[in-house]
Amino acid sequence: MNPWLAGALWGLVVVTGAMIVAAWSTWFERKFAGAMQNRPGPTEVGPVGLLQPIADLLKLLQKADIIPRTADPVLFNVAAPLGLILVLATLAVVPWAPGLVPADLDIGVLFALSISSLMVVPVFMAGWGSNNKYALLGGMRAIAQAVSFEVPLLLAALVPIILTGSFRISDIIAAQADGHWFALWPPGPGALAFVLFFLCSLAEANRIPFDIPEAESELVAGITTEYTGMKFGLLYLAEYMHTLVSSIMAAALFLGGWDGPGPDGPHWLLIKSLLLFAGIFWVRWSFLRFRGDQLMNLAWKKGIPLGLAVVMASALWVHFT
Amino acid sequence: MAVIDPHINIDDYEPEGDLVVLNLGPQHPSTHGVLRVKLWLDGEVCIKAVPYLGYLHRGVEKLCEKLTYVMVTPIIDKNDYLAPITNEWAINNSFEQLLGVTPPPRSQYLRTICAEIQRVASHLLWLGTFGLDMGGALGGGATLFMHTFRERETVLDLFEALTGARFHYNTLCVGGNRHDIPAGWDVLVRQTLGVIASRIDEYESMVHENAIFLARTVGVGVVDPVLARALGVSGPNLRASGVDWDLRRDAPYGAYGDVQIKVPVRTEGDCFARYLVRVEEMRESIRIALQLLDGVPEGPICALKPVKLPGAVKIKPGIGYASIETPRGELGSWVIADGTERPYRCKIRPPSLHTVALLPYLAPGNNLSDIVVVLGSLDPVLGEVDR
Amino acid sequence: MKLLDTLRISGRNLFRPKTTTPLPWKGTRPRAARFRTSFALLHDEHGDQACIGCKMCEKICPSFIITVVPGGRAVSEKTGKSRGWCADFTLDAGACISCELCVQVCPTDAIVMLQVPAEVGFSREDLLLTMERLYANEKPGTAAWSTGSGLIAMQEPPKPPKPAEAAKPAETPKAPETTT
Repeated sequence: MNPWLAGALWGLVVVTGAMIVAAWSTWFERKFAGAMQNRPGPTEVGPVGLLQPIADLLKLLQKADIIPRTADPVLFNVAAPLGLILVLATLAVVPWAPGLVPADLDIGVLFALSISSLMVVPVFMAGWGSNNKYALLGGMRAIAQAVSFEVPLLLAALVPIILTGSFRISDIIAAQADGHWFALWPPGPGALAFVLFFLCSLAEANRIPFDIPEAESELVAGITTEYTGMKFGLLYLAEYMHTLVSSIMAAALFLGGWDGPGPDGPHWLLIKSLLLFAGIFWVRWSFLRFRGDQLMNLAWKKGIPLGLAVVMASALWVHFT
Repeated sequence: MAVIDPHINIDDYEPEGDLVVLNLGPQHPSTHGVLRVKLWLDGEVCIKAVPYLGYLHRGVEKLCEKLTYVMVTPIIDKNDYLAPITNEWAINNSFEQLLGVTPPPRSQYLRTICAEIQRVASHLLWLGTFGLDMGGALGGGATLFMHTFRERETVLDLFEALTGARFHYNTLCVGGNRHDIPAGWDVLVRQTLGVIASRIDEYESMVHENAIFLARTVGVGVVDPVLARALGVSGPNLRASGVDWDLRRDAPYGAYGDVQIKVPVRTEGDCFARYLVRVEEMRESIRIALQLLDGVPEGPICALKPVKLPGAVKIKPGIGYASIETPRGELGSWVIADGTERPYRCKIRPPSLHTVALLPYLAPGNNLSDIVVVLGSLDPVLGEVDR
Repeated sequence: MKLLDTLRISGRNLFRPKTTTPLPWKGTRPRAARFRTSFALLHDEHGDQACIGCKMCEKICPSFIITVVPGGRAVSEKTGKSRGWCADFTLDAGACISCELCVQVCPTDAIVMLQVPAEVGFSREDLLLTMERLYANEKPGTAAWSTGSGLIAMQEPPKPPKPAEAAKPAETPKAPETTT
């Protein structure tokens, strides 16, 4: 088949699927948070509120699209779609089943991580372009956070790479076949690296307890303060997609990807990443938020030494087995 | 970090350097109403903070001069809108003092029980909003908030059964209470307070030893007892700084003379100490309310004839001052009577006003995130600050 | 790890029953017998309008929202007795603070508060309770417990003890059962 056509088809399928999952994950999160807070959550639109994301979309599309007079129109307008595009680009290298991958790059992990760390650019564009002090503070915080947590995230991601000896994600997943998931095996560094990777991707995706760029009790709404309508929706969706992509990456790198009991296939990757996604919700709706400097301390004083330690440990493991 | 002398005028203090001036409020999610704080920020660290008041000014004190004594109570209800019963109690106490009337014992007990369960409700709301300040409206803070509100609603149900209103009850009048205890109310109170007592333990295990909560509160916003006393701070904020002062015990009013009151005091003065004091107070209030509920005396609930006319109460010329311990501190009301059915002057001494006055001294040197937490831990009610 | 404790508590709450009140079109929350929101004017036991236009509620209202136009004295067709009448009665519920003082001072128990909230309006005029709307609000089973005479009886202090036996007239009336 024509590779351009195949790429377009793949893109269509993956992007649409991810969008749908992200949209309905907002419904799931609202139901979940509602249950945790002893309230029903959305009930009115469709059966048990299942059509709520569509209603939200329609509402956001109807809203006035306000660009503040003093805002930088280019940065302000480009930031929202750019964030979503960057996040979606990460999905290109995720293998869903053996041979079932949009683009099987030999530097897949590197590509995914570098793209996801680029996410800070649209966030800061939004913060700077809004010309609002709260948004600016949010953007500054986002940069500080991304710079700090990038390092332990990469160190944690190095562990499966060292254990496999390849940057290709399908190789990494294949190496975890038959239940030899890196989160379980080798016992020490694998599990630690998984936890570290998971926490750092929470921080990358600005999730509680690391959501200081958007801290709505301090910064009103952080970077999204001046955004209205669908642009706000896009920023919001990008954030959800980022979380989803982070869970997919964690499931692929540490939880064996498509591997699982019974027939292997894309459903296992989906189930694992959705479970991680639900775990993120659980954490989100239970924890308070750290202060900015405490986050930096966590990243530089705890995260990086831990990351270095697990990298060394896995290197030693590879060397001696 | 600049330490400001409490005796200088804060407006005279000129910060230096290239600073960002940020208006925190009046429309801001976590200023607990419509407080506006002007912050001079260096990066994210505050150099100077000036609170501006008056966005919720309703002229209640002037309105009191316009209304007769019996009409003042429902208006004054709106001052401290998180503990309405205490407003009614303070103003009616000063009227009764001027009249030389003592409410009957049943009324005293009822007022005290109401004030104590109101304290539980107020502190529950405070705990929830304190969580919101730290955890955001879309996070763990919201969960804590919804949980505390779940319990607070049951307290409001108690008030609904007693007075007919969930809030702004207008249940006190000059000389006593307007509503007597309905049948079965004491059972309801016992049941509700029992549930709340068990839920307080749950909140404690949720936040008390949570590392994030500790990191955000311990050592943050330390109030010096000397400063606190100089500014007239009272209530839990003062007791968290090590000053053992509680009007319920030190100048008993109502039925507080009949119960043993254990006043929780902490010496640290930080946000965590204020949290601990309030949680302990909730437990103590539940204990006091249950203890008083056992011994409510029979009898009338009002010492004066029931109000049938707007001018039913006339007070001879004189000056009366009564103060009570609200969930936020010492609420005083100072009334000058001139012999007519209207007060000549009515002055409210709100505890929150003095609490907000702490902000210029607590904010400098703190991160923006911490300023929000400090403000939340002080628990000001803007309806009372601006009146 | 106390952080896990937090997760455990929040996880436990996932399985607690819902405590929020249902949406208005799916039922109402049980309201206490004394719950008070909106207003109604009542007819007396003969079928006449109970309001005599004495303007007492207008004078005691702390928000000054009640306007009463007295209609002078006239003979009632039902009872044949001369009594006062009310020509017009307006209550601006938009500024009402639900303090219940107007109910308390009413000498004929004509004005009562309702347990059922007023309907939501789209303009300020929708909140204006005119005399017709107040009388239309008089439906059985919707009124709150409190009436003027009931409140007065509840608050009446004991009469000065003339004989020793007269110490019990102000026994508080039996309050109705709460529904919560």
